Amino acid sequence: MLDFAIYCLTIVAVWSVLGLSLNIQFGLTGLVNFGQILPFGLGAYAAALAARAGMPWPAGAALGLGFAVVVSLLVLLPARRLSQDYWALITLGAGELFRLTALNAPSLGGADGLTVPRFADPHLALACALALLAAAWFMALRIARSPFGRMLKVLREDEVLAATLGRNPVTYQRTVSIIGWAMAAAAGVLYAHIVGYVSPSSFTVTETFIVWTALILGGPGNTLGVVVGAAAVQLLSVSSRFIAGWIDLPADVLANGRLALFGLVLVLMFLFRPQGLIPETREVRDAERH
Amino acid sequence: MLQVLFNSLVYASMIAVIAVGVALCYSILRFANFAHIQFAVVGGYLTYSFAAIPGLPLPAAVALSAVATGLIAILVDFLVFSRLRDITPEGKMIVSWGVALFLRSVVAIIYGGGARVFDLSYEVVAIGDAVFTTLDALVVVVAAALMLLLHLFLNFTRVGSGLRALASNADLAVTRGIPGDRLIKLMWFLSGALAAIGGTLLAFETRLQPNMDLIILLPVFAAVTIGGLSNVFGAVLGALILSVAQNLLIYIDFGALLGGDSWQIPTQFRDYVAVLALVLVLLLRPRLSPLAGR
Repeated sequence: MLDFAIYCLTIVAVWSVLGLSLNIQFGLTGLVNFGQILPFGLGAYAAALAARAGMPWPAGAALGLGFAVVVSLLVLLPARRLSQDYWALITLGAGELFRLTALNAPSLGGADGLTVPRFADPHLALACALALLAAAWFMALRIARSPFGRMLKVLREDEVLAATLGRNPVTYQRTVSIIGWAMAAAAGVLYAHIVGYVSPSSFTVTETFIVWTALILGGPGNTLGVVVGAAAVQLLSVSSRFIAGWIDLPADVLANGRLALFGLVLVLMFLFRPQGLIPETREVRDAERH
Repeated sequence: MLQVLFNSLVYASMIAVIAVGVALCYSILRFANFAHIQFAVVGGYLTYSFAAIPGLPLPAAVALSAVATGLIAILVDFLVFSRLRDITPEGKMIVSWGVALFLRSVVAIIYGGGARVFDLSYEVVAIGDAVFTTLDALVVVVAAALMLLLHLFLNFTRVGSGLRALASNADLAVTRGIPGDRLIKLMWFLSGALAAIGGTLLAFETRLQPNMDLIILLPVFAAVTIGGLSNVFGAVLGALILSVAQNLLIYIDFGALLGGDSWQIPTQFRDYVAVLALVLVLLLRPRLSPLAGR
């Protein structure tokens, strides 16, 4: 039971990092990334490839972060200065291409995927995950409270206003994307070493929307909210095996029921509480009264 | 070469019938509706269920499925999108994914994960060394007829003009007495019904499975983007361009072209063309203004 609790906590920490990486893109800057699973998958596959080549894990981590940064620049090349509709389509397409490549390239293991050396000690895995979460949290807070972060919020609310203040939106969007994608890649590296294998089925569009559900549930723009949302969503995911024990349902019905619930949560949050469980605190300053 | 043309036409037909619905919705409500793909999946499965009713001919089953899916689209709008008309387009896109996730999971719960195949009989026709089946011909004819009807409806009826007025300037159209809310319901019905027929045609040609949404997601949105998102017939043209590009790429023997052994691009990689087309259009879009619609 304790082992299971440790596993749950580890998974929650990893997905919280992924949630935070999406939050600095969407919650702070308003970038609609429908392919956030891509950097996560890049990190995971980099870890697997490095392990297969006999390299130590830091090499895999470096490779994963490098991949994520390069690919983010490539993907955002056509997306820059376009409206968010196109941004969403491009990131979605890039994510799916990655999955298709992994599925069809024999050197990447195809549908069976690749095995990765697992953490020998679950406590160490938990410690690593919590350390990464702490680092990501610290970074997210630093960004949100810095002048850079305030400009991101201006960009989110009104791109033209940001441009009139002499700031180039494209530069800001690029920087945020690189940070966000690198963060997700780090989570991916860790995820691969925790789970012990990577396969294309772990990196579908659906996974991206599980992260989105966590973000919208917790509260876009709020660091604590995102972690709470990720915890709620992932605890529900891992606990479904117990629910399967209590009520007599086939595993696939339960898995799909869970996804239906996530979809429902996403819609209901938008309908009834768009600011999320823990809303972003908005600073309102009245310019007239000083 | 003729074979490439046949294959392209069949594939473009299925994609176009689904893609016009996305463009219709975008032109009037200004957001990319990702739940639209699930309407096609729902429609395909509903046709399967209706076709299982004894004594009901297959065309009637398709018609019933189209009506039912159209009503489901109206219901989704009533429950979700009509309450969120004022939020940002990004918000609507995200909500549409929530709807998509829900619909896809419910379909998978009801019908299970296994593939289902329509038991259709057809004959193979050969012209020269190119072959197609009577089913292929039927798919192309149905799709062409639907596109023609849609064209006539949008351009030569009062209701169709109303829809176009709503798309070009909603505020002005409503001020001039066009019943916006009723026309939006009609738009949802049309796109739901068309998606259902497109999904059914796709199921006829391949098979029904819950993850068929992932197979058509990129081609459909690439076709709509090539056509300029809000241009209904641009989406049809986009589907044709995309389909020809995909089939040509698979057909060309790159190994022989480069003077080496025969080597062709594996068919699994044809979705790359969809994304590549998407990227190219986005990079060149300002210069493609006649296609861009807006």
